[in-house]
Amino acid sequence: MDYSDNADNNNNNENPDENDSDLEVSDILNFHTEKGTVIDPQSMTFSISGEEHTLGNALRYMIMQNPEVEYCGYSIPHPSEDKLNIRIQTTENTTAINAMRKGLEDLKSLCAKITETFCEANNKFDEKNSIS
Amino acid sequence: MDLFGPANKPEIRIQELTGERIRFILTNTDLSMANALRRIMISEVATIAIDMVQFDLNTSVLADEFIAHRLGLIPLDSTEADKIKYPRDCNCSGACKECSVELNLHVKCTEEDTTKDVTSKDLVSHDPRFTPITEGPKDAGILIAKLRKGQEIKVKCIAKKGVAKEHAKWSPCAAVAFEYDPFNKLRHTHYWIEEDEKKEWPQSKNAQDDFPPLDDEIFDFTAKPNRFYFEIETIGSMKPEDIVMNAFKKLLEKISSIQMGLHSNDVPINGREPTRDVF
Ligand SMILES: [Zn+2]
Repeated sequence: MDYSDNADNNNNNENPDENDSDLEVSDILNFHTEKGTVIDPQSMTFSISGEEHTLGNALRYMIMQNPEVEYCGYSIPHPSEDKLNIRIQTTENTTAINAMRKGLEDLKSLCAKITETFCEANNKFDEKNSIS
Repeated sequence: MDLFGPANKPEIRIQELTGERIRFILTNTDLSMANALRRIMISEVATIAIDMVQFDLNTSVLADEFIAHRLGLIPLDSTEADKIKYPRDCNCSGACKECSVELNLHVKCTEEDTTKDVTSKDLVSHDPRFTPITEGPKDAGILIAKLRKGQEIKVKCIAKKGVAKEHAKWSPCAAVAFEYDPFNKLRHTHYWIEEDEKKEWPQSKNAQDDFPPLDDEIFDFTAKPNRFYFEIETIGSMKPEDIVMNAFKKLLEKISSIQMGLHSNDVPINGREPTRDVF
């Protein structure tokens, strides 16, 4: 993952116009694209502050389930920086941002589903134990 | 519409549920999801714990900071921790009723030749929802210090809401046991042996709920773990099933807050120029 980031950075330095400086976003938000990682809409590195492996690995897995995603990896660049980077590269049929959207939505529904499953199991267990 | 493929029709079977522990099997989901659940239960489920202690008097043999540390570790009933604000979200400047709970402790030993125990039962909470936990009327409480005649402790404690990521005293769990593949069919681990693996490595308790390998079973290198054994033991501040529920809630919150960040952000979509009207 670091390798691909570096490759992008080099590329952007050669073509400064393509390095969209508009993408610099205020740090107040917990979500932004990492500087210098966007060359086209199909490949981006997102940076999420305040998150770590807990969300990173699950989200990475979910995004990888999307057949239009060619690459997805996450890293925590440095332990003293409270941030998580997620790199997504997709086919021409979608964009990295849409893959991220879909990943989040899918993870959310999976989480909701497991919650529901747990509630059911809990109720079932209560019933069984109140009878006996 | 099934977006997640066949590996994601999650199922849960609760095997044991008591006041302080839960054992369950989570199946048909990915390791990353099970691990997220485990990590959140350990470090991101909010509870209430003493965070500031003001010493009015301490003539015991223990130093102030020593006692303050012990007070911090005392489990307080946190079943209604969601009714209280995080200090950082509160408008007050120090501590108020919306973001904190005051507890007082005042004990003096007056009897000759006896040692007086100061326990968690001596803590008097200003809010009946957040009190030191006790296991029935026979429970002697958690020992904090011992006093001899004339010695006295008088403190004011401020309990706040927090998560164990900041300090372990806020963890609702004493332990979270997590296991998958008790027969090591996936070969995610390697057993160090002298002669015989079966003799030297006793089977895990979870092995009886799993499927033992056949003697001539061929190694399936495409297999993925999909059966996870959890056992959560609480410290008494929260019901075990609530810890699991709160962990799921926390994960949903995390996802939603990123979705909001993504939504309010001006990242380009489909190559369009970013719009800057957010600011
Ligand atoms: Zn306040």
